[in-house]
Amino acid sequence: MPYNIAMVSDFFFPQPGGVESHIYQLSSKLIDRGHKVIIITHAYDGRTGVRYLTNGLKVYHVPFLVIYRASTFPTVFSFFPIFRNIVIREQIEIVHGHQSLSSLCHEAILHARTIGLRTVFTDHSLFGFADAASILTNKLLKFTLSDVDHVICVSHTSKENTVLRASLDPLMVSVIPNAVVAENFRPLNQPSYPSETFGNHVVPMPQHVGPHDTITIVVVSRLFYNKGTDLLVAAIPRILASHLSVRFIIAGSGPKAIDLEQMLERNALQDRVEMLGAIRHEEVRDVMVRGHIYLHPSLTEAFGTVIVEAASCGLYVVCTQVGGIPEVLPAHMTVFAKPEEDDLVVAIGKAIAALRSNKVRTERFHDQVKMMYSWTDVAERTERVYDGISGILSEADFYGYDAADAASWSATRGKAGVQSFALIDRLKRYYGCGIWAGKLFCLCVVIDYLLFLVLELLAPRDAIDIARNWPKKGKEERVSRERE
Amino acid sequence: MVPNQAPPTTATVTEPLPPLTRSTTLPAYPRTTTDRSLLTPEDAIYQGSPPRRLTEVRVPNGPSIAARLPRERHTVRNRSASRRRKGVWKKLLWVKQSYPDNYTDQATFLEHLQRNPRLQPYDFWPLVADSTVIVQHVCSVIIFIVCFVGIYEKGISPGAVVGWGSFGTLLGWGIWDWWVGQEDSKPSPPILTQPASASSSVSNLNIPQNGLAARHSHSASASSIHSTASQVPTPRTAPTNFSPNSNPLSPRTSLRLSTAKSALLIYFTLLGLSPILKSLTESTSADSIWAMSFMLFAINIFFFDYGTPAVSSSSMKAGIKNIPASLSTNAALMASTVLASRLPSTGQVFSLTLFSIEVFGLFPVFRRYARQRTWRGHVALTTALVLGAGGGIGVILGRGGDGEGIWDWPWKSGLMGLVIGVVITGLAMGGCSWWLIGLQKYKNEIHGPWDPARPIIRRHWEEY
Repeated sequence: MPYNIAMVSDFFFPQPGGVESHIYQLSSKLIDRGHKVIIITHAYDGRTGVRYLTNGLKVYHVPFLVIYRASTFPTVFSFFPIFRNIVIREQIEIVHGHQSLSSLCHEAILHARTIGLRTVFTDHSLFGFADAASILTNKLLKFTLSDVDHVICVSHTSKENTVLRASLDPLMVSVIPNAVVAENFRPLNQPSYPSETFGNHVVPMPQHVGPHDTITIVVVSRLFYNKGTDLLVAAIPRILASHLSVRFIIAGSGPKAIDLEQMLERNALQDRVEMLGAIRHEEVRDVMVRGHIYLHPSLTEAFGTVIVEAASCGLYVVCTQVGGIPEVLPAHMTVFAKPEEDDLVVAIGKAIAALRSNKVRTERFHDQVKMMYSWTDVAERTERVYDGISGILSEADFYGYDAADAASWSATRGKAGVQSFALIDRLKRYYGCGIWAGKLFCLCVVIDYLLFLVLELLAPRDAIDIARNWPKKGKEERVSRERE
Repeated sequence: MVPNQAPPTTATVTEPLPPLTRSTTLPAYPRTTTDRSLLTPEDAIYQGSPPRRLTEVRVPNGPSIAARLPRERHTVRNRSASRRRKGVWKKLLWVKQSYPDNYTDQATFLEHLQRNPRLQPYDFWPLVADSTVIVQHVCSVIIFIVCFVGIYEKGISPGAVVGWGSFGTLLGWGIWDWWVGQEDSKPSPPILTQPASASSSVSNLNIPQNGLAARHSHSASASSIHSTASQVPTPRTAPTNFSPNSNPLSPRTSLRLSTAKSALLIYFTLLGLSPILKSLTESTSADSIWAMSFMLFAINIFFFDYGTPAVSSSSMKAGIKNIPASLSTNAALMASTVLASRLPSTGQVFSLTLFSIEVFGLFPVFRRYARQRTWRGHVALTTALVLGAGGGIGVILGRGGDGEGIWDWPWKSGLMGLVIGVVITGLAMGGCSWWLIGLQKYKNEIHGPWDPARPIIRRHWEEY
């Protein structure tokens, strides 16, 4: 059953980034599966109003004040009128918010529940519990997620984190990983895809590294503290000192770039370490295929799409064992290190030795990664979530418990896995958020509801035009496309 | 977390998922022990003020769990069969598993969660001992205020105040110099093993005093009880107005010369500034001055660096840590400046300002060093300060010596204040320590794999 879905997030193109491409890829695959998807984000420089992207993906750029790193100013209610308008105009049934730092997404989920729509939230990042910023974000997250139909996380670690942060029922949280467009991350000597479709599948050449060949280690990362640049700065001189025929290529920029440059100058390593500066996402593949090993020294990572991209390019991956990273790639593609300088150096040494002895079949990585992660698979799994919250899947199927026990459950959740929209039920859920916060949240919800009534009065539903849908391809055409 | 298990034997995602019974998500063994470091998901829900908590379900073989998952209790017995049928769930993303996406494996879910991993239970007496640092500082502030009020209202001679103050400073400097001399003659002492982070983390936190005492209590007590004289402070940080012995210029002698020079400089600068300071706040009303100086002293007390200087093998600049936090010192000096500007004569202004430099600038350095050197001296100093502050307040507030009845004798109010001060201090130290220990049961720190890792780097290329 096709749904009308609105993806809401502060983070969308033209800004580059992982969340942005996730939303785009997921939306276009959902459109391929016959759903109607629109994206609601805030206005960027030069992107205002309504835009159409490839495949009839419609993007609403809502004018909003941006305060910090593309996040809008959280004004709880001011988004409601235009959001309601868009939702009615596009006949939206499911609102899907992304990323917990996006206030637009939180507001949209709150308003969507008030209007009476199904909501899904996808969390892309990990948060701690100790510092002030995290505590505030977690409280807000608890507010929004008190009344959400389902939550999607990108890794199991992220799921544990989100369940703790928002006090959710673990069964309400699905784990659906990110994916990569494998086609965009081909190894060096592999031709682009169309040639394969005509049957002449090119067997990848085994990539042999002799004992004296130069091994190139690639790092593609923003150079921030939490990306582990300090580890990199400490480890590079030791690696280069102990392995003579090793080169580094470092792509990315950030506040820690100056540390790297200082380290290079102090040790006079400029001829063995190439710093490329910031590169565009399209160029990542071209940088990666110049190397043999991908080094990812991050200190925290929910999923780590970049290591999947590197593996897809046929690189042997050395990464720190933090966050969700250990779940992402099989052991034969990776060497794990503790986030310590010594261990990282040892791990790189192991990786170099393995490559030199030709134990690692990196030429097979691409096809293996292609089998593991695809956006089509992500879209299918997301669709199952949509089915579950809309009651297409039975409650027992979706949540997986005996229907007999559902009686005790139905007080919080309506029948067939559907959360009740009644205001009093919603207030009950919000009230449990905390001694003071619970009451404050209830107040917000009540005001939101009153606002909804006022809006229904001032701008009645039948006065809002219904937008025409993008003409869809015929069913046969779509099926044949999927076969490809 | 080792992801090198074999790929699953079970099939792809495209086939319809078998109807999942609730029992698959049950723990393999009902947890009967309350492990302090391990949590079950129910615990997580229970912890964070659940939005949808239902009822409290008592499981016969487990701890009572206020749960939003009461339904799973009914199926404890038939769980294992369905689990075996399906193959083992793995915490991996790259394998296609026959479990639904929202499957929660109760055996592994949140298994890496740690609660209060670095909990150090406090002991009562070390905590009380550590709170003496705060008591010392508060008492010296009180003594300063008492001196001001004495000069301002009671007509105590400012010369006497600053004379005693300077005498004390000289004495302190003498002791300090002697200690340094002792240490210089010794070979380089063993290094105290105490966490380096203890003092720096507490230095500038505006949190209640018992909190401060608590945080650094561990390291503080370690260093104060084993006062093994381990640290050689760089002496240039302590200026004094002592004239040096004219020995041949050893490093120490030149150091004494330079301290004497800076002392003289401060002395004459103050002398020159006093007439200006006297008229500084003439146009301001007295109320504003009292309020302002109160605020400034409060800042001084709250932002004072009560921590122990970090002594680690790498920190060669340990002497720098001997200078107390600058915000605190500046606030105190400003407060004393505005207070001094209320005084009528230049001499009084000069005396009070000089006294304030001695109390807020030099005395903390000495106290800090004394605490590291001798624990007994530290206790004696604390006692003297408490007695002085209590007695001083008594003298200021009381009306002793005005000939009222038989109980009247000149030091009555002072003695009263002394007793009351000691009692109040004792109660506060004991009470706050006890309270803090009581509060520890609310501590709930959650750590897990989602926390940003702390990189361990051997060589420091620069100060990060």
